[in-house]
Amino acid sequence: MSFFKELSKGIIKDNPIFVLVLGMCPTLAVSSSVMNALGMGLAATFVLVCSNMFISMIKNITPSKIRIPVYVVVIAAFVTIVNMVMEAYVPALHKSLGLFIPLIVVNCIILGRAEAFANKNNVIMSIADGIGMGLGFTLSLTVIGTIREILGAGTWLNIKVMPATYDPMLVAILAPGAFITLGFLMAILNLVKEKK
Amino acid sequence: MMYYLKLGLILLIFCVVATSILAYLNTLTQPVIAARKANEAIQTRMELIPGANFREDTTAAGDVYYVATSDADSSLVLGYTFVAAQSGYSSNVQTMVGVDKDFKVLAIKVISQSETPGLGANCTQPSFMEQFKGMILSDLKVDKDGGKVKSLSGATITTRAITSSIASAIAAIQADLGGEQ
Repeated sequence: MSFFKELSKGIIKDNPIFVLVLGMCPTLAVSSSVMNALGMGLAATFVLVCSNMFISMIKNITPSKIRIPVYVVVIAAFVTIVNMVMEAYVPALHKSLGLFIPLIVVNCIILGRAEAFANKNNVIMSIADGIGMGLGFTLSLTVIGTIREILGAGTWLNIKVMPATYDPMLVAILAPGAFITLGFLMAILNLVKEKK
Repeated sequence: MMYYLKLGLILLIFCVVATSILAYLNTLTQPVIAARKANEAIQTRMELIPGANFREDTTAAGDVYYVATSDADSSLVLGYTFVAAQSGYSSNVQTMVGVDKDFKVLAIKVISQSETPGLGANCTQPSFMEQFKGMILSDLKVDKDGGKVKSLSGATITTRAITSSIASAIAAIQADLGGEQ
């Protein structure tokens, strides 16, 4: 297994959202605009890389019976550190991401990768896995966010893209819109896969 | 038996280490955050009523507000600023408000909220906050309730929280000042 293979698998082959169907809660909640999707994706990627790296480092001293509580402590600690340091020293970034950081704790991609990958592989591979999964998560969120924002608000990254006469389809940025968009995207992806 | 004690002990060690790191970082970051927030409050007051001096005051109920005066000896009152807060859809929404001496809204700024991203969180957009300019107490109702505040699409609860928190804060300060005179 090479570094780049681990890195790229998260983007298409093992895409956390469309293939592994992990982390649905933040996916549905914050994909209402591209800005939120990017913010959540990048913040989660950062925590994912840190926690994968750290859990891979301590895998030999963690008894397997209590590994899950240990992972939860490690992940929660990282998220809190990111939150505090960001709020104190990069307030501008914290203002736009602040809302999403506590949500990362409950993102099961992070615990999922710790359990499925980081505790069986070495540090370098775990970092690659974290980056790849994080990018796949960010990319998928951005795609959903793009569709929902254009349909629901007529904008992309807060820039108007639809003609002025377009009446925004409000349901797209409400919760049901998230389910509908995700359903269609998964259906399209499965169709493409079947054709191959 | 010993085995399980050992497991508990290892978990305890992890928790103690994690907690002490967090506690230590908290002592480092907390003062920085608090100082920045106090600074931001001063900045926001200056934005709402530019060029004024501010004097702290409290209502009989204990709510803090600031009297804006033209100069330091506080002879001519320009207006008032205060923080209005009420629970919105998913968070406590705090808004800093500047009003003139007749309690007509000069400007508002939502300073703290964690409403639904893409819906209620749009209350921090300038286009939403600007509509409050020039409103008096009787205008401060959401359009659905017969007032002049245009509600955010999909976030009437947030709009209502902001609007009614401002209205009740204005009423409270007005009543308090009326009592003093």
